[in-house]
Amino acid sequence: MRILSEFNFKKIISPLFILIVCEIIGRTRLIDPFFFPPPSAIFKSLWQMTITGEIFPHIAISVLRAVTGYIIAAAAGLFLGILVAGSKLFENIFDPLIELIRPISTFAIVPVMFVWFGIGNGSKIAIIVKACFFPIVLNTIAGIKGVDLRLIQAARSLGANGRQLWTMVLIPSALPMIITGMRISTAMSMLAIVGVEMLAADSGIGFLVIDAQRTFATDRMFAGIIVISLMGVTFDKIARFVQQRILSWHTDTSLAGTSA
Amino acid sequence: MFIIEAQKVCKIFNKREEITAIENFSLKVRENEFVSIIGPSGCGKSTFLLLAAGLESITSGQIFINGSKINGPDPKRAIVFQEYLLFPWKTVRKNVEFGPLVRKVMKAERRKISDKYIKMVGLEGFEDRYPHELSGGMKQRVAIARALANEPEVLFMDEPFGSLDSLTREMLQSELLQIWTEAKCTVIFVTHSISEAVYLSDRVVVMSRRPGRIIADIRINLKRPRLREMLSTPEFSEYERKIREFVWAQV
Ligand SMILES: Nc1ncnc2c1ncn2[C@@H]1O[C@H](COP(=O)(O)OP(=O)(O)OP(=O)(O)O)[C@@H](O)[C@H]1O
Ligand SMILES: [Mg+2]
Repeated sequence: MRILSEFNFKKIISPLFILIVCEIIGRTRLIDPFFFPPPSAIFKSLWQMTITGEIFPHIAISVLRAVTGYIIAAAAGLFLGILVAGSKLFENIFDPLIELIRPISTFAIVPVMFVWFGIGNGSKIAIIVKACFFPIVLNTIAGIKGVDLRLIQAARSLGANGRQLWTMVLIPSALPMIITGMRISTAMSMLAIVGVEMLAADSGIGFLVIDAQRTFATDRMFAGIIVISLMGVTFDKIARFVQQRILSWHTDTSLAGTSA
Repeated sequence: MFIIEAQKVCKIFNKREEITAIENFSLKVRENEFVSIIGPSGCGKSTFLLLAAGLESITSGQIFINGSKINGPDPKRAIVFQEYLLFPWKTVRKNVEFGPLVRKVMKAERRKISDKYIKMVGLEGFEDRYPHELSGGMKQRVAIARALANEPEVLFMDEPFGSLDSLTREMLQSELLQIWTEAKCTVIFVTHSISEAVYLSDRVVVMSRRPGRIIADIRINLKRPRLREMLSTPEFSEYERKIREFVWAQV
């Protein structure tokens, strides 16, 4: 078993230790199990939610909202990023706008979104778009503007025309930065979806957690948090996988990026 | 008939302050000639290459290539830089095929071209490597093959061996002479090394301090093919001494 032999057992020591300590605290009732349910109870409730299938619609709707918002943000971010990086005119038009909106916390615009889009899926997706858009647009701009002028000269001397410069030189050159922005945004989308589902929703994984809290089902609450964490890890793993696939030629694996 | 004819070329950069990089720069080069340009740092050597390659605009004066005034870059004029400037996301083969690709050469034909020039620079077997997997000398060979893949009439080289160790540099010098004979093109070669200039060239031109212009034009009458042994002949040393005098007068 290659997977098993590569598995680093030392890495599971610390989580295991914490689980055992929590279990002891919970079982001995050192802290009221209402505040601090033992992990066994949490996993039991997680298992319950899994076999009844109750958890899956919540995961599905959260993922659907997150992915929809993410795709819109990625398309808009790429498009606007290319426009701003490619034309002084568009830079002058959009740069102030980007600089003004960027520092606003995603959650500060939640009320606005509720007013504009209602409390259904529309506002939630809009909030995810806001959360994901800026890392993508900023990294796209920085990536394209950062392309070595000399590399462009080399390409032009080889005969590349304007359009070919974009598709064959500028965008491929900027790709490491663009992909980094996209990876940062996957994490942003998870943060935003959970937050907004806690504020107003009747479905989704964020709703599940806040609903468990309101009904004092703390074991369910912690179970939901575990699911959120697993979703986050999965998203990041997928993003890293895609990044490595696309950038296999790239020697630098710890790519720097700008976050919103 | 001259393949390159620069007449009283002047280039002024206008960033924060006006910088006259070259002024009154005139040079004539015959077809298939190998001409080296040598001069103090910052005198405008790279500037002239960029102008002649059509990558920068001329402030005044003119440059003719094959009798026609230059107007932007042209695949018939290739340039090789000191920093290689390969496309890091492309393999050796794809880098070499870049010129033919943007000129819309068909795939089978592109492949023939890349095979030919990869072989010419001695990189067979490395076709599928990425630039970061190559040594500096190999990267520069790829850059040369990539430039030649457009079958240029003129090849501009801006200190192409400047960042290589001396052994690799000597190897590439000899190989370049071979390639130049095979590919039959005119080479304008910028270097800081006097012996490199003498060893490679038919003519060595020396530039003044900035604003650069040509202050000496020395014909190298060593017989070809050039051999390494020639470097230790009195003739060779005499050329070196003469050029060094001109260069030192400028620094
Ligand atoms: N794009 C530019 N903008 C402004 N000034 C420039 C630009 N390119 C070159 N210069 C200036 O023009 C002068 C000549 O530069 P150039 O690069 O041609 O010199 P060089 O002879 O190639 O020097 P080196 O031997 O160090 O490579 C320098 O003073 C440089 O600062
Ligand atoms: Mg230079």
